[in-house]
Amino acid sequence: MKNLYLPITVDHIARVEGKGGVEIVVGDDGVKEVRLNIIEGPRFFEAITVGKKLDEALAVYPRICSFCSAAHKLTAVEAAEKAIGFTPREEIQALREVLYIGDMIESHALHLYLLVLPDYLGYSNPLKMVDEYKKEIGIALDLKNLGSWMMDELGARAIHQENVVLGGFGKLPDKATLETMKKRLSEALPKAEYTFELFSKLEQYEEVEGPIIHMAVKPRGDVYGIYGDYIKVSDGFEFPVEDYKKHIVEKVVEHSFAKHSFYKGEKPFMVGALPRLVNNAETLYGRARELYESHRDLLRPTNPFANNLAQALELVYFIEHGIDLIDEALAKWPIAPRDRVEVKDGFGVSSTEAPRGIVTYALEVKNGRVAYADIITPTAYNFAMMEVHVRMMAEKHYNDDPERLKYLTEMVVRAYDPCISCSVHVARL
Amino acid sequence: MEGKVRIGFYALTSCYGCQLQLAMMDEILQLLPHAEIVCWFMLERDSYEDEPVDIAFIEGSVSTGEEVELVKKIRENAKIVVAVGSCAVHGGVQSWEKDKSLEELWKTVYGDGKVKFEPKLAEPVENYIKVDYRIYGCPPEKKDFLYALGTFLVGSWPEDIDYPVCVECRLKGHPCVLIEKGEPCLGPITRAGCDARCPGFGVACIGCRGAIGYDVAWFDSLARTFKEKGISKEDILQRMKMFNAHNPKLEEMVEKIFQGVEE
Repeated sequence: MKNLYLPITVDHIARVEGKGGVEIVVGDDGVKEVRLNIIEGPRFFEAITVGKKLDEALAVYPRICSFCSAAHKLTAVEAAEKAIGFTPREEIQALREVLYIGDMIESHALHLYLLVLPDYLGYSNPLKMVDEYKKEIGIALDLKNLGSWMMDELGARAIHQENVVLGGFGKLPDKATLETMKKRLSEALPKAEYTFELFSKLEQYEEVEGPIIHMAVKPRGDVYGIYGDYIKVSDGFEFPVEDYKKHIVEKVVEHSFAKHSFYKGEKPFMVGALPRLVNNAETLYGRARELYESHRDLLRPTNPFANNLAQALELVYFIEHGIDLIDEALAKWPIAPRDRVEVKDGFGVSSTEAPRGIVTYALEVKNGRVAYADIITPTAYNFAMMEVHVRMMAEKHYNDDPERLKYLTEMVVRAYDPCISCSVHVARL
Repeated sequence: MEGKVRIGFYALTSCYGCQLQLAMMDEILQLLPHAEIVCWFMLERDSYEDEPVDIAFIEGSVSTGEEVELVKKIRENAKIVVAVGSCAVHGGVQSWEKDKSLEELWKTVYGDGKVKFEPKLAEPVENYIKVDYRIYGCPPEKKDFLYALGTFLVGSWPEDIDYPVCVECRLKGHPCVLIEKGEPCLGPITRAGCDARCPGFGVACIGCRGAIGYDVAWFDSLARTFKEKGISKEDILQRMKMFNAHNPKLEEMVEKIFQGVEE
């Protein structure tokens, strides 16, 4: 045994949500092992909600992750409504998507400006950028505030939205508030375009170029959006969301409280903004469609760093789409906030597009209680692929200064926008 | 406090919502000239978990062996320890089934899979170290942070709220979701401070700020109302456990609510 082991570790990756680390073991003939250690403790969300009243379980699920609590709430509610055989009215569905868009805008703005941009500009902390990058921080705060406010109005608050209930909403904003929302969205459009322009200039590291299997929800009605009934894979395959277990396996890995997901038994795959664009770009419209067409060379399906730019493009898209959805709801004004629902027994699966990719809920309801719950979050879908890309980066740079290697591998992880907390509730096998 | 206040924000196991709430506050920019952020992994790459601080904010529940060691280290290094949010104060929603065994929960979720870190059932920070102050909520309101930070910075001490959500709800004039809709609203027994946010949207309070511990809740009338509406003692207990599982006075409070009320 002549191997010299030089472990290079980042115990706690900063500027992601949740606790995870990178561990790289280098021998005398190169990189031996690369591990994403997920050290955030387990929270057993499926196990603790079984046997609980459906509405109370639906209040707990968003607590899986604060960055995408609206995504969790809306996906869990859709799975529950499918289980009990209820379909919300079109205008209610449109307003739920507007709430989801609030989450998307806030989450993308926070990720791009506060978590990603400091690396590129050489800051350890986004708050330190305030003096020199006043405009950028201003835009970040404006977009973040817009998203938060939309969630306040439609969800009762920006984190853990209690205003979404079976059958609709507890209460809806009035017409004037929705008109104001449209106005504020229009005013935000140039800021989103500025964000796209800014991120189109940032480096995408060619060390991690390679083929990626992309997975995304196929949007309902062929309009780029958040809801759908099929999963689309970039190899051309499609399957109904109910069949997720036939095509995706989850495995427990020793170094992580979060499981890893594989397509067709063994293939890592990617979910998120880039996979959405790769699979569904033909359903984009408006200014985002134009930007996509003119920047296709940068939105490369082969580079995970393009996920950052894809998020910036989505800021533009979801602002325009949000305005259209509000118009759709206003056309039917006045609208009742909720329908009476009868909680019947049944089983339902929902997959939607959270800011960082597909989130899946499978719920069985019996006697008004949760009888079975299985949840797979975007980050849990992404881990195996993330590890592949961290390895590619490590293999090119293991001889560099360890600080540089740490910095580059952390940037790879950050490009995925992982919600580590979110991944660590873990689904039943 | 003189000079720059050294602040650490530490995360245990949680959804990161308390930190996100703080990070989303524009007001934080006004704090910066007065504070030095020693540890805050969510925003700061140069974060250090083992440096001395004036104020340590801890969010999340203690859920691994490693986190037990971390909270002890934070206590040693901090002048003031603040437990932030429902997870740090009461163990969080992940404590909902705290009476089940770790083995049972583990098996349901991970099967026979093994992980090299030491998992534990979620517990509040106070089970391991002395906590000086608590910020309640899931997540806390922005004004909770402003009030706590503001009072610390002027060298004073924030006070607990000792009245229930019902008080705020009445002042706001919202229709009562318990009396008028018969929903199991926990407003009467939950610590105020949210301006009755959820009842304001017509949604019953789920008690995310924790049970109020000062015996000021409207126990008698509430018990009668719960009973009249056909809401059972067991259902109220289960509902209160969502955010309060580790509250030592929980069962006592529910007993008191239903005292003399025949089910």
